[in-house]
Amino acid sequence: MRPLTEPETKTLFEKLAAYCGKGIQDLITAGGAEDRHVFRIQGSRVYYVRESLANLATSVKRDNLLSLGTCLGKFTKTGKFRLHITALSVIAPHARYKIWVKPNGEMPFLYGGNVLKAHVGRWSEDCPEHQGVVVLSMNDNYLGFGVSARSTAEARKLDPTGVVAFRQADIGEYLREEDTLFTT
Amino acid sequence: MGATRQIKGKPTSKTGGASKSGPSKKSAKPKKPTGSAPEGISKRKQKSMALAKPGGQQKSKAHSTNPHKPKRRHYTEKELDIPALNGIIPAGIAKPKGQKKGKVFVDDAQSLMAIMSVVNAEKDKNVESKIMRARQLEEVREAKRVEAEKRSDEKMKKFEETKNGLKKKKKGRHSDHAKFEGVDDDVEPKEKKEKKVQGKKKRVSFG
Repeated sequence: MRPLTEPETKTLFEKLAAYCGKGIQDLITAGGAEDRHVFRIQGSRVYYVRESLANLATSVKRDNLLSLGTCLGKFTKTGKFRLHITALSVIAPHARYKIWVKPNGEMPFLYGGNVLKAHVGRWSEDCPEHQGVVVLSMNDNYLGFGVSARSTAEARKLDPTGVVAFRQADIGEYLREEDTLFTT
Repeated sequence: MGATRQIKGKPTSKTGGASKSGPSKKSAKPKKPTGSAPEGISKRKQKSMALAKPGGQQKSKAHSTNPHKPKRRHYTEKELDIPALNGIIPAGIAKPKGQKKGKVFVDDAQSLMAIMSVVNAEKDKNVESKIMRARQLEEVREAKRVEAEKRSDEKMKKFEETKNGLKKKKKGRHSDHAKFEGVDDDVEPKEKKEKKVQGKKKRVSFG
């Protein structure tokens, strides 16, 4: 386990910034100066973890350390960063664009489907195309995140079966990907 | 000292007295290995010695030739004083001396904030430009839509006009005819009849 290098940090922040607005800076300042939160990489996975915990984890052998803190995602072999569903709790409170899904659209989304226009209860205004969005249920529960397929203006003209947002991750993965979600 | 000499000299003189050449040959014999077998060495040993000799001699010869050859001296590049070829190190490859090897970690909050602000600024710019572009495209689309609507309205209007015109024409023709008929029938039927009669009367035919 080690801190991230500069290019790695940049890649990670670029990905997080696709979903989060200005509030992303709270991630760094969270916990205050005494016990701030830091980013650590173990294997290819990046964890958002309390610094005191990260320091304690140095006493665990690298091979034996499976996970600690909140897993944000992992670096692919090509050097890109892929967010995991476990990062939802980190990015959702700071989300820039949101889509609320009606109860009839919750299950299709949680089974891995994209968000259709017919299922959208409401959405953030002025959302451009191909921008990260966080998907919520009508009672403000976080369901997952995705990428907008159309801008809000274009999406208004779309027919009800048209895709509004492409799914990236949903909380159904906790069950569907149970075997592989936390393995390295 | 002299007594000892005498003692030593006696046996030699005895042997030397019998035959001078003989004892000298005998004394030489044991020294030479090629001669008849010496009394002290067994036959087996003698054989082995005889077998060992040619091989041993050859080996010793071979060895003796190599050490006499002068060893090649290896010169270092400095000694040779060769001019350096293409000694320029490209700027990209050259690394300043004393630089730490390995990865440079970013762990302090300040540098993290600096990176994040750069990334955020870039992202904001992108989002802004995306929104602006989307708005512009939307405006263009709206203008095109309005234009198309206007054109189709005009077309419809024209069509309606022509339709009405045609209808009127048809109606007008029909109404004229009807009018004529109506007028003829209703207002002055007698006159018409008279005219018809008159017309018939006026007809001229050439035979």
